[in-house]
Amino acid sequence: MEVQTEVIVTRRKGKNIIKFWHNYRQSLYGLIGFVILLLFIVVAVFAPIISPYDPHAMKGEVLLSPSISHPMGTDHLGRDVFSRIVYGTRVSLSVGFIAAGLSAIIGIFIGSFSGYYGGIVDEIVDKIVDTFLMIPAFFLILIIVAIFGNSIFYIMLVIGLTTWPQNARLMRAQALSLRERTFIMVARATGESSIRILFTHIIPNGVYPVLANTALQMGGAILTEAALSFLGLGDPNLVSWGKMIYQARPYMTFAWWTVVFPGIFIVLAVVSFSFIGDGLQYAFNPKLSVKQKEVSA
Amino acid sequence: MLNMPFMRLKKVDISYKLENASVKAVRSFSCDIEKGDIVGIVGESGSGKSTLALGIMRLLPPNALLSAEIMSFDGKNILNLNQDELRRIRWKEISIVFQKAMNALSPVHKIFTQMYDVITAHSSDIPKGRAYKMLTELFGKINLPSKVLNMYPHELSGGMMQRVMIAMSLIHNPKMIIFDEVTTALDVITQGQLLDEIKRLVKEFGLTAIIITHDIGVVNEVCNKVAVMYAGELLEYGRVKDVIFSPLHPYTKALVKSHPDLRIGNELIKGIPGSLPDLTYPSKGCIFYPRCDVRLDLCKDVKPKISVLGDHIVKCHRIQG
Amino acid sequence: MERILEAKRLKKYYPIRKIGRRSYVKAVDNISFSVEKGEILGILGESGCGKTTLGRVITRLETENGGDIFFLGNNISGINYRKMKNFRQKMQVIFQNPYDSFDPRMTIIKSLETPMKLLNIGQSKKNRIEIIRDAMEKAKLTPAYDYLERYPHELSGGQLQRISMLRSMLLKPSFLVADECVSMLDASVRAEVLNMLLQFRSELETSILFITHDISVAKYMCDRIMVIYAGKVMEIADAKELISNPMHPYTKALISYSPTISPQKERERFTIAGEVVTPIDPPPGCRFASRCPFAKGICRTEEPEMKEISPGHFVACHLID
Repeated sequence: MEVQTEVIVTRRKGKNIIKFWHNYRQSLYGLIGFVILLLFIVVAVFAPIISPYDPHAMKGEVLLSPSISHPMGTDHLGRDVFSRIVYGTRVSLSVGFIAAGLSAIIGIFIGSFSGYYGGIVDEIVDKIVDTFLMIPAFFLILIIVAIFGNSIFYIMLVIGLTTWPQNARLMRAQALSLRERTFIMVARATGESSIRILFTHIIPNGVYPVLANTALQMGGAILTEAALSFLGLGDPNLVSWGKMIYQARPYMTFAWWTVVFPGIFIVLAVVSFSFIGDGLQYAFNPKLSVKQKEVSA
Repeated sequence: MLNMPFMRLKKVDISYKLENASVKAVRSFSCDIEKGDIVGIVGESGSGKSTLALGIMRLLPPNALLSAEIMSFDGKNILNLNQDELRRIRWKEISIVFQKAMNALSPVHKIFTQMYDVITAHSSDIPKGRAYKMLTELFGKINLPSKVLNMYPHELSGGMMQRVMIAMSLIHNPKMIIFDEVTTALDVITQGQLLDEIKRLVKEFGLTAIIITHDIGVVNEVCNKVAVMYAGELLEYGRVKDVIFSPLHPYTKALVKSHPDLRIGNELIKGIPGSLPDLTYPSKGCIFYPRCDVRLDLCKDVKPKISVLGDHIVKCHRIQG
Repeated sequence: MERILEAKRLKKYYPIRKIGRRSYVKAVDNISFSVEKGEILGILGESGCGKTTLGRVITRLETENGGDIFFLGNNISGINYRKMKNFRQKMQVIFQNPYDSFDPRMTIIKSLETPMKLLNIGQSKKNRIEIIRDAMEKAKLTPAYDYLERYPHELSGGQLQRISMLRSMLLKPSFLVADECVSMLDASVRAEVLNMLLQFRSELETSILFITHDISVAKYMCDRIMVIYAGKVMEIADAKELISNPMHPYTKALISYSPTISPQKERERFTIAGEVVTPIDPPPGCRFASRCPFAKGICRTEEPEMKEISPGHFVACHLID
């Protein structure tokens, strides 16, 4: 009997994913974003196969315009722009995932904790969040990177540590409303520990707006990294789209390909994440999708 | 139209179109209402009783489809009316009071302003002073202090708000009022007070009323006739004392048996096992068949005809008319 | 008889901030009562009378501002959440809204099994699932596996409320608080839920605090009924005694106004005016004085004491000697 139970439970979980996808599909933007992201992931994973040249090799002639051998031209040191963009995908995606992921995790923990427990903890957290939201995050990041150095890990860490308040605020609002729900009362009345309630009921039921926001933040993190690199504060050992533009600045008036292609990719990445955010909104909020509620007579 | 009852509904069908299905919420509903009647339409959630009320008022949502053989009121056909004619009927001939009074009133305007809007909507040349006097008089008749006119909705209790809504429905002296679950959200005493009020008003104003409720107790308190609905169909209709005290349809019997009562001894109450049928594809046979404890083989596939026993109507194969 | 629960002078005040000073809603004000083994005590009152707050204070979902609660001989007032865990198995709650009583992301089996696991009932997961299945089958929720692997939104209110009851009963509690557990259900389903609760009581000898606004339901379910109004006890008596011989004007009004389906002649209403008041900084005297048709001077100045007018029948009213 138990075995049978397990089988059916997994089947139903599968159904949930199908339902999720069904709702997600309702957003055309979400679909487009998903496809672009999928392409980016393929590019990042298979970078060595896809790129025709070593991204650091200074073999070609300098500032060649796009041609068959160099589809996006070469830069001022004779490096293949296309290969550099392909490798740059790795940096941008990992910045997006890790920085925004970190921000989501911190935001979810702090937000759910403060919303569920309430009281003085909540008031303190609320003030911290307000303060963070008032400070222009980019300048904060700029200062921290300038002081502590500009390795890619610092950059990810700093972006994550400065953008969590948004997520915390979303999660807190969810926890505040969830803790009044009957099933939370039931959990308390059966003596479930607060930590357990937080992790098995509050977070799983309230995490969706945070996830949708995280998709947006991934785009934001990619943009922030590009901006830092553009200001010369990027990781010196890595190829990134922002850094490509930074390095190509002096030549952009006569070698447009050195800035336009990396620029397009930054925009594409940011747009894809923001589209995915839109799709997630549909998937997590059934009210947006086509109403299929039974008519109550 | 001679010899027509005050209101006649014949074969009223209402369905809701959904994305890829249509829910047949009311099917072939027929009943006659005489002048001065207080008719209770009783049914559980999903019985179609509120849909029917909205259908009579033509306040259905756009995805609803209404059709009927006859819908007449006070000698007039009210089935095929255009928007203008409908507007004239609403409020002036038939008005409706809903359960959620709070939603019907604007929170930022005083009661008087909102009621004045209703007055001017139909007779535009009434000055404010006269309207105020008129409303004060009307409020007096339903035991509302006239200071309520200068209050905002949130300052009123649930019972007061429902009285305001009733006053509003009375402004244009309609001939019929439909009360759609008006006492559901109220406390027992407030509900009782309001029901007493409704009973008195119907007599005083010479009204005819339809009271939609899920509580047969409420029906017994105020109505003289009752229509029992289940899953979109009328199963039994007749005078309250016939239908509630000697019900003929198995569903009505079961409904009465499921009702704990203050004044009857401590008999065991019984639920009705099973649940509402799917109204996307209602069965060909008796709609109550799956939950009926005295069903016949016949009931499964053959829809019972309406049996008429004097002024008591039943839709069941076991009853011969 | 064994005393399961005793509450002594229980208080719960909610502060509300008004300009200048702090006011309190005295939701539960000096309420004392006790529940014996296997007894169903009804808490009867209208919305806002404090009945739900009382239930939450008793089950430690809210902390009282004063008074003592003795549960199975232990004083549980003021003990912290972690210590209360030892009593959770013995004290369970059923809530009003069955649709919201289950984590929407968990299957029914998970929702049922988790509390058992936490409170160490059953040796293994397999054993627990067997216990659940047997209980489901006994409660006629069959086939059990058909329910167990579903998510809450796939079930009806009646089914969910019965499963919610089952969830509590699997823990074999000695005391259960049922907070308006049938007020959201249709009549036909309500009876099944009530009967299931009665069955549990007779099988497990569980004492029940049955919170309701419906005096008919209270009469059907309860051994004794306690009537509360604006945070204060008005009357406590054996259920039959209370209904056949109500002493407090408020109880009289409640009974008189509650709808019934018994054949009745025009019976005399025991009429009272006004609506429920919220006890915000209530004035001295009887809480009901503002609506009582018999209120005298003393009713507005002095709070009435509980008087035992016949064995087990207590009334708080100045008019009764």
